[in-house]
Amino acid sequence: MGYEIQEEKVFNSGHAACPGCSEALALRFILNTLGKDAIAVVPPSCIAIISGPQPLSSMSIPVYQTTLEASAASAAGIKRALISKGNNHTNVVAIAGDGGTYDIGFQALSAAAERNEDIIYVCLDNEGYMNTGTQKSSATPSMAFTTSTPAGKLSPKKNVPEIMVAHNIPYMATATTGYPDDLVRKVKKAMEIKGGLRFINVLTPCLAGWGVPDSAGPKTSRLAVQSGIYPLYEVENGETYTLNYGPNGLSVADYVATQKRYRHLSPEDVELLQAEVNHDWEKLQKKFK
Amino acid sequence: MSGTVKRVPSIWTTGSTDILNTGTWRSAIAVHEKRPAPCYGACPVDGEIPIWVQQVRNEEFNAAWLTLVENNPIPAAIGRTCHRPCEGACNRTEYDGAVSINALEQYVGDMAIREGWAFPAPAQESQKMVAVIGGGPAGLSCAYQLRRKGIQVTIFDANPELGGVLRYGVPEYRLPKKMVAAEIERITDLGVKVVAGRKLTGEDLGELEKNFSAIFVAFGAHDAKRLPLFTKSDSRVLDGIDFLRSIRLDAPLKIGRKIVVIGGGSVAMDVAGSALRLGQQAQILALEGRAVMPAPEDEIEDVIEEGALLHDGAMVKAVEDLSGSLLLHCINVELDQNVSPGVIRPIEIAGTEFTLEADTVVLAIGQDPELADWEDRIQVSKGMAVVDADYKTSRAGVFAAGDVANIERFVSTAVGDGKRAAYSIARYLGHQDAVEEGFADSVKEVSFKDINTFYFPTQKPVERGKVDVDIRKAGFAEIRLGLTDEQALDQARRCFSCGSCIECDNCAIFCPDMAILKDADSPLYYKVLDQYCKGCGCCLEECPRGAMGVKEETK
Repeated sequence: MGYEIQEEKVFNSGHAACPGCSEALALRFILNTLGKDAIAVVPPSCIAIISGPQPLSSMSIPVYQTTLEASAASAAGIKRALISKGNNHTNVVAIAGDGGTYDIGFQALSAAAERNEDIIYVCLDNEGYMNTGTQKSSATPSMAFTTSTPAGKLSPKKNVPEIMVAHNIPYMATATTGYPDDLVRKVKKAMEIKGGLRFINVLTPCLAGWGVPDSAGPKTSRLAVQSGIYPLYEVENGETYTLNYGPNGLSVADYVATQKRYRHLSPEDVELLQAEVNHDWEKLQKKFK
Repeated sequence: MSGTVKRVPSIWTTGSTDILNTGTWRSAIAVHEKRPAPCYGACPVDGEIPIWVQQVRNEEFNAAWLTLVENNPIPAAIGRTCHRPCEGACNRTEYDGAVSINALEQYVGDMAIREGWAFPAPAQESQKMVAVIGGGPAGLSCAYQLRRKGIQVTIFDANPELGGVLRYGVPEYRLPKKMVAAEIERITDLGVKVVAGRKLTGEDLGELEKNFSAIFVAFGAHDAKRLPLFTKSDSRVLDGIDFLRSIRLDAPLKIGRKIVVIGGGSVAMDVAGSALRLGQQAQILALEGRAVMPAPEDEIEDVIEEGALLHDGAMVKAVEDLSGSLLLHCINVELDQNVSPGVIRPIEIAGTEFTLEADTVVLAIGQDPELADWEDRIQVSKGMAVVDADYKTSRAGVFAAGDVANIERFVSTAVGDGKRAAYSIARYLGHQDAVEEGFADSVKEVSFKDINTFYFPTQKPVERGKVDVDIRKAGFAEIRLGLTDEQALDQARRCFSCGSCIECDNCAIFCPDMAILKDADSPLYYKVLDQYCKGCGCCLEECPRGAMGVKEETK
């Protein structure tokens, strides 16, 4: 009964994340699984706030705060430098938000994937620029309210997980905080697969930005999975698909009902969203063996 | 030039954020808290159901039995006869069906008999002596609880052996005598003196008061109610409890071929079931409709399967003597809803008259306590002894409980009353520490919405199997099959453990601030780190079983 999770204490209390923050929870599982033999690269983001404030750090490993567009390039450089110094064991992990991954850091990420750099890249995806006051990113889903899409976003979420798969990298996985054992397993698996770029997209509901209670992070994350909006799966070498947790009968209406960013939706809007989710799920389902 | 070079420190970070007290942000803090489960709230003996079910799940069977017998010394008997209010209250009912608590209780009770588990001897002996009048469920429960506290107990019983309704009422096929005998022996082995076969009356009270410091009156209700339509001397008319008792004494009263049982409670069902087993035909005439009959639905279902005919929502209006048999003129009725509680007023439905022919009519419409010779010694009202919340009668040192003093005529209610009366008697005798642990009023019972069902995959309940109906009718062998080991564990795993922590660690795992630590010294297993907890409530939300609460904080 209960989760079996082994942690090595790297992520510390006293950090500046909001109460109940899913990103802090994700960092806990990721960093405490990576352990002390790791170097983190963090671009401007909530993650940078949570890792600080200087001269204090919440992370008991070296952390390099790079520019918003350069996380993958910086991580690749650090890894190459370590290797040239004869260090083949230290994991270099870039931990960026969806703004720094889907939008601004995308070119560097795609290039690092194309060169198959030996790094782990984790995107903590809260579906918008939450740190600067909830602006839309290309990770914001259809119809969601942000301060820059006051009537709801007009285009669907960019499918970065599948774009990364198309780079034929050794490992791509989707994970989320409501399934901590699954997230930890995927980080461990990424550590075991060496010699190429490993990408994990972690859905981390932003409590303030999505309009859910402080206590609802893990629950909202599970609703995303159970309603089919965010299936948890992993892909090896760009072709071997495995489904971990898919929809279990909950609907998009169940998911959007608890979030203020969707409160302007009419029943017809919810139906349109449901059709979009059904379509994406059917497409994805075909890829599982 | 060289003097102006800016030196960059090799390490900019000087320490960890764990020196920052982010706990100052919060306005409320989550606390680990044991909360009452609805099964506990509904249990007539205040049984710690989530605790012993959890012990069954952990395969700590002896521990489970010890938890059970804290409040109920006869789980094998109650595990067969309880009316199961716990299962009606179970939070899992709203999800995929109540946990089969009663069947689990039987499972543990039977195991204890099989393994020969004994009660621990009292830690210290007291010289105080208590007389218990009546060795039925209330008397046995009270005697057991008093002995556990070291108090000397003598049980007086009118019957040749102890057990009351368990031994002389409930039929063998629902409760085998060997189970009753084994559980009673375990109680008397604690050092209870037994004076059996002696019926005490009110006249004996003075003598008892000379020899005992307190007296507990629990001789039950054995004066069968009669209907004025039937003459008392007619050998074709029997009382249900006399009939059941005669079978238990292996000397069944003579009955005819066609039996009509009048009544809608457990006794009526037991009479019908017993008559069928004796090879006769049984019809049941119940005033209430089936849905509101006092007998539990499964008992009604059993006798109907076995061939009894049920005429529910009907009453007898007149009796015609057909020289040999009796012809009952009956009519369907509705119960008047506009009456005060406790009053039953049937309204006849015109045109629904029917007749039933009976060689023997068995009346099972309830019993009253035999209190005629007690009325001038203790206060009696509405046919029952009057007691206060501490089970004290109007006479100092005399306590009463069970059917003598309670209109709720369930065996498990009698066991609970007997227990609570024992605590009260112990306090009366100077044991001021004889207080039951309970919950503060401020601690709320766990409701279904407090349960995080994500952590509980749906799984249907499993009930005890039943012996094939042809075999059942052929004799008095027990009709319900106890749970198998596998079924019992499966049922135990279904329990939400409402309000009782089982150390799943979810509260600690889902804390983004690592503010909850395992704490071996805490009875609630965890401690909340006050300096870091930001009060988000994730622990509370992710606790699968509602074993946490919130404490508001004002600065």
